This record gives sequence, structure tokens and C-alpha cells, in this order.
Amino acid sequence: MTRAKLRAAVTAIATVGMVASGFPAAAVAQGNAQVGGAEVPCPTRVFWGDTHLHTSNSGDGVFNGVRLTPEDALRFARGEEVRSTTGIDARLSRPLDFLAVSDHAELIGIGRRVAAGDEALMVDPTLNRWHEMMNESVEQSIIAARELIVGFAQGELPELMRDPAIARETVASTWSSYLETVERYNEPGRFTAFIGYEYTSLPNGNNLHRVVLYRDGTDIIGETLPYPSTQSQDPEDLWRYMAAYEQRTGGQAMAIPHNGNLSNGLMFAMTDFDGRPLTRDYAERRQRWEPIAEVTQYKGDGETHPMLSPDDEFADFGNTGWDNANLDASAAKVPSMLAGEYAREALKRGLFFEEILGVNPFRFGMIGATDSHTGLATGDEDNYFGKFISDEPNANRAGGSIGAAIRGRVGWQYLAGGYAGVWAEANTRGAIFDSMARREVYATTGPRMTVRMFAGWDLATSDLTADPCSLYDRAVPMGGMLSGEGDAPRFLITALKDPEGANLDRVQIVKGWLDGDGQMQERVYDVSWSSPDERRIGADGNLTPVGNTVNLDAATYENSIGAVQLRTVWTDPDFDAGERAFYYVRVLEIPTPRWPLFDRLRYGAELPEDAELVAQERAYGSPVWYSPAG
Amino acid sequence: MTIVDRLRPLLREPLVYFLLAGALLFLLIGRGGDNEPADRNIIVGDAEIARISANWERTWQRPPTRAELDRLIDDFVREEILYREALRLGLDEDDTVIRRRLRSKMEFLARAEVESVSPDDATLQEWLDDNAARYAEGARTSFEQVYIGAGGDDGEELAQLRAGADSASVGEPLSVPRSLERASRTDIARQFGEQFAASLDPLEVGGWQGPVPSGFGRHLVRITAREPGEPARLSEIRQRVENDWRTATLDDRQEDAYRALRESYTVEIAGEE
Repeated sequence: MTRAKLRAAVTAIATVGMVASGFPAAAVAQGNAQVGGAEVPCPTRVFWGDTHLHTSNSGDGVFNGVRLTPEDALRFARGEEVRSTTGIDARLSRPLDFLAVSDHAELIGIGRRVAAGDEALMVDPTLNRWHEMMNESVEQSIIAARELIVGFAQGELPELMRDPAIARETVASTWSSYLETVERYNEPGRFTAFIGYEYTSLPNGNNLHRVVLYRDGTDIIGETLPYPSTQSQDPEDLWRYMAAYEQRTGGQAMAIPHNGNLSNGLMFAMTDFDGRPLTRDYAERRQRWEPIAEVTQYKGDGETHPMLSPDDEFADFGNTGWDNANLDASAAKVPSMLAGEYAREALKRGLFFEEILGVNPFRFGMIGATDSHTGLATGDEDNYFGKFISDEPNANRAGGSIGAAIRGRVGWQYLAGGYAGVWAEANTRGAIFDSMARREVYATTGPRMTVRMFAGWDLATSDLTADPCSLYDRAVPMGGMLSGEGDAPRFLITALKDPEGANLDRVQIVKGWLDGDGQMQERVYDVSWSSPDERRIGADGNLTPVGNTVNLDAATYENSIGAVQLRTVWTDPDFDAGERAFYYVRVLEIPTPRWPLFDRLRYGAELPEDAELVAQERAYGSPVWYSPAG
Repeated sequence: MTIVDRLRPLLREPLVYFLLAGALLFLLIGRGGDNEPADRNIIVGDAEIARISANWERTWQRPPTRAELDRLIDDFVREEILYREALRLGLDEDDTVIRRRLRSKMEFLARAEVESVSPDDATLQEWLDDNAARYAEGARTSFEQVYIGAGGDDGEELAQLRAGADSASVGEPLSVPRSLERASRTDIARQFGEQFAASLDPLEVGGWQGPVPSGFGRHLVRITAREPGEPARLSEIRQRVENDWRTATLDDRQEDAYRALRESYTVEIAGEE
């Protein structure tokens, strides 16, 4: 057995966060007369975490064989050694600062009862059979899991699983035990254990999943149970439930959508769940309840797609296999669906709706997460622990099929990571949640690079070395809004490599806008890159590639190319003060080995010919939005 | 010393409970009880009927009707007969599911007691003392650093700093703090990488030194203060200690219980001496 144990590095933070009241408004700067948002804080550092992790409380997790509990997951994330379900001792080389164990709300905990052979459930022949399969072998367990997922996606679960009394009893006891565990691990200032769950809306196998994240502790959440999609598949009903929760308790919650890439066009559709045109009221509520989106995780990258961004030479990342069908591959994807699935296109649609409705429904920031179902929140290529326990380290996972080999999805297509970087004042539920609510967050595909952006009119090159706290009075951070009428705003961007990782290739600004004809447009600008004396933007508009140092035999790379840090103050050369726009940062690392290459080296894994072995990992900052004044 | 006094230390041993529980199960299932696999009498008493009825009610949220109850009892009798005959034929012995189920029941017995217990301060203090290094607040370091890039170093910047130059005017700007106050080893590693944090350890408080390597390149460093680490106080980290104690104790109890049973077995494995 491989013993994957690296050095621990526990984070200690002594400060305690300020407690904001209500949902904090994002900072707004207007024209040349700057108006900072009220109570603008100064986040001094990035906190790293995962808002999306499953354990044996999730039906699909336990049916696929995972036996780790929320407690195991929390211990692992905060840096303790944990034995994985398949018997590998694992420890994060760099612990996380926060974690939300977010198990599926639907029938939460019932899979564990089936696995344990609960008498009340064993009277059902299907559940009895599943129980036996779960305890017989991993292979049988996976077949049972597939039956469960298909039954769930198609609304054909065994009667007892749909029985309200059973559900109530199971959910209540599982949830209260979960709350008790999370509270025991939440250490303000040191490690934040969020309370949350996943709302698993899956109409006809199309992924409309949301992670629901609470700012609150058990004292406020009290008897509130998770809202399951078995109540309603319409996310608007989830928002109503969240609104009722806030009104009743004074607490706060947000919903974080993910895997639009498996929604067959529904996640960021031009219509609501029932196919009606979006209204101003819908836009207001969506913006209110969904301030951020999870855009990169194990099941693919959702920033953009080559068919949506043909001029973006880096758009082809983390989409192979995921772009051929919906979540359970029950329906193939056709190209016209892509526009409703990816974040960049959704941000563009948001500008369109803001123009016609007055409110932008898709004003969201971006984070990454794992969506691991092993209980282990791993994000690094050189230590990938897999989506399900059948994907825990072994020689066959990269070449093996995903699920029933439906639509040709293969193991190597999983990405190894996704974490959220959060600029916050302290490592507390309140401070981190508030930063997410004002979108001062960014996504990475796993590496922990430091990325910061400010936008405004009163920014100069000398501000690159200024104390960032001094900038909040005259500029907005990522996630903020600008409103103006004359000059082009300036963008101050700094990107620092992960101190344990690869150098940086380049920093780009992705701009989306609504042109004079009301058409949605996008453009990617290279704004800062390594070795600027040698690398130029050619006639085709593309920058000289950074090169590639990956040794395919040894699964190594050299930081002999790329930059430690990239910084610039940038002005949009095509700025039109009358056009709505958004700007976000994309940072690319130099090419590094992907996880299948490590598998080939360590386990002698045989890889399919088309397996991608090298990638440029990246970070996506939350946008800054510009709108014409008046 | 009375017998009770002699037994008292034993009663503090979880293993004893484990063995007692095992013996009790053995008595209930193997020897006593109303329904013994070896004989051919089946007695369905009031208690059994109440249990059957309650189980139904848990699932369906109402008591069974008379007809339903009769059917449940019939089914119970049928299951009991087939169960005993299956045991007589030894069908339980090569069934993976049954073996796993019984194994997990045994492991649960070993863990159950610890799951619910609230450890007292003395227990936790002992755990804390035994694992002091894990909880100790390491040394705190205050330092200034100047980044001199990833390339070569001709000693010029170090000479400038030692001659009293303003540190802000030397070296290259980098988006990391120019100084940290009372930073722990992990704080430093988090922002500068593990290599840099480790390289600071041997440096003395005093003037400018270096270069010191990091994940970013090379730095010149001046350690301004260093405070030794302190042992952790239970009152400040009680919850964390209790979490760790419980996790470790659960694993230990399960392993101890197994070891005790294992000792009474002789195991021979083909090919091993």
C-alpha cells in the first residue's frame, strides 16, 4: 500500500473577525468621485478551503463504498492523519483553513442505514439486496450505487426510501449528529468548520445542484433541516426556504451552484425552471441568494468552452468527456446547450439581462472546490485521492471508465482539484462567509497562488507597492462594481506563485461586454507575462508560449521558465464608457504534470492514448462589473 | 480487601466490559433465551409480539391491524425456523455478508462505550502531556526580509543593508509582507513556503543575514526577536484535545479488544514460519 504522508503545516491565526450585520453590499466606486462601500474591511490574507465535500452521509458516497464520516473529513482537512476507506494513511501536506462537509440533503444518512442493515429498511427487498451488495464487495457496491443514482435521477427509488416518516427520522438524527460534530471542530481563528449541505436538483439527469452554506452555528440553525430536491427541483423554492430561514432565525445562508457543465444548458438558462422569461424579481433573488458559483472541480472546469470562446487559446481545459452529456449521461449534449452551462457566457448573459431588466441575475464571483466523495479534500495533482473510493489511488483509475462507460467518460478526465481562495480579515465563519457574499474570492484548480485585483480611476503604478489596505478607500476589490461616464478605469493586478508550486506563465484579463447593438462580446487580454523581453504578442494576437519543462518519464517540471510574480496596472484599450462590461483575472501557471502521469510512474498505470498528461493550472478571479452612470 | 475492592480496578478496564458483553451475548444466543437453535420449540411471548409490533409501527407510523400482526407473527415463525435450519446446515459460515455484519457488531461493542463518555480533565491532561509536541505553541519569530530575486547574488544588497541602508529601498518588491511579528513556524511556511521557514530556524537574532532560499527565490533576513515555544494549556484547547483523545481512544479500544481475543487463537498461515 502506498503511504501518502507529507509534512503537516497547520495554520494559526490569532485575530478574530468583525461581525457584520446583514448581507454586506459589495463595494461600489462611482465616476471620478470615489464612494467606498460602507464598513469596507481590509482583508490581509487569503484563506484556503473547500466548500464542497461528501462523506458516508451522502447516499452516492456510501453506496460507492466510502465509510469516512464528517468527523474524519474535518480531521483530514485540518491536517490530521486519516486512514482512507481503502486503507491508505493520508495527511494533507498543507492543511486547509476551512471546510464545509456538504452531503446530499436527499435522504441524508439513509445510505448508512442501508449499509448497516437497519431492520426497519430491510423489509424492502430492493434495500435488502442493496445492503447485501454494499457489504459483499466494492464491485457489487458500485453496481448498487449505479442503481441508486439511476433510481434517484429518474424518480424510481424504493418505496421505503421515499417514505416521509423514514426520511424525517433519518434526516433529523443524521443532521443533529452532523451539527454536533461540526461544532466540535469549528475553532474560530484557527480552523473554520462551516455547516452546509447539497441541494441535489437533477431534473431528467440535468445538474442544477447547489451547495447551501450557512454563516451560522447550531445555536441559530437549531431545528432547521436541509432542504431536499425531493421537495422541489426548482431552485426558486430553495431560495424561498432560505429566505424563510433567515426571516425566522436572523441567520444567513447562500447557495453555490456547481457543474453547470452537466446541466445540458439549464444552469444559466435564459428562462426560469418552468421555461418562463426571467423577471426583475427573479434576477434580484438569484443575485441575492447566489453571490458566488463553483466553476472548477473534479467533474470538470466550467469557466468556458472552446466552442463558446473560439478565440481563447486556453479555453480547452477540463472539458473533455464532461461536454458530451448531462450528469447521468441520460441525454446527450448538443452545442446550443453550452451557452447555458459555462461561467463566462453566464456573466455575459447577466449583462444582457441587466440591460433589459435593470438587475443582473448572474452577478456572481468564482470559487473552486473538490466535490470529493471520499471524505478527503485533496486538491493537488501529485496526491489525487479520487472522486469516489474506486478512484482512490490504484493503477486502473485513470484508464477505467467513469460510471457505466456511458458516453465515453474515462477516469483521466477527472480534474485533481479545485479550492477556494478567500480574502478575509480572519479565519471565522463570519469573516469568510462575508467575503464570499461580497465576492472577494477566487477559484483555483488546486495550486495556492495569491491573486489580487483592484479597480478604479485613482490607481497608479506606484500603488503596486502600496499597502493594499489603503486602496479600499479609492478602488473596489474583485467582486465589486464600478459606475462611471468618462475615462477608462484602471485595474491593479498582482499574482504571486504558490510558494510550493509552479511559476506563472501569464496574467490575463477576460472582458465581457454588451456592445452598442446589444450583442454580447468577449475578449481575452494578456496583461503581464514572464520574460517580457523575449515573449511578444504576435500578429495572430497570441503571446509567445512560455515553454514546457515537464519530464514525462519522471513526472517533474522545472521552475526555470515563468515568473515568481506578475504585477501590472492595466487600462482597457477598447473601453467604451457607454457599454456594460465585466473584467476578471485569469492566471496561468507554466505547464505541470497531471495526476495520471504520477499514476503511470507510481503504479505503472496504462494510460489511454488520448489521456492529457500535462496542463497549465490556473486561477479565476471574481469579476469587477462596470456600468455606465445614470 | 473485599472481593469488590479487588474487582474495582477491573471495572475500570473497558476490555472487561467488552468481554462481559460478549459472554452475555453468548449466553443469550448460544445457551439461554426462549429460542435455542438446537431445540425445536419456538415460543413467541408477549415481549416478542410487542417488539414485532413496534418495529412495524416505526416503519408505517401506525400499529398493525390484527390481520397484519398475525401475518407478521407467521413470518417471524417462518424466519425463526429457516434461520435455525440454516445454522444447522452451517450456511452462515461462508456468507460474506453475514460475516461482515457480525464483525462490525463486535467492533461496535468495543467502541460503543467510548463514543458516549465525557472524559474528565485529568484524562485529557494526561493525553495532552503524552502528546505535548503535537499541541505546543512553537517558537514565535519576528523578522524583516528583503527579496533579492531568484537569480544570483553578489552580496551587494547584504553589504548595503549592513551599512544601514533603508530596507525598503533595497532589493525587489514582492507581494509578501516585508516583516512579520511573532509569527509561528506554520504562519511563515504558509506565506513563504516550508523551505524558508526551516531556513530561519538556525538564524540568530541580530543583524542582516542571508541569502535565505524560499519558494520565490532568495531573501536577506534580519531576525528581530524570537520567543521560545510554550506548552499548550488544556483550558485553551480542550475541545481539540477531546476530539483527538476520542478518536485515538476509539481506535485503541477496538484494537485492544481484538488483540485480547487474538491471543487465545493459534493461527497458522501456509508458507509462513
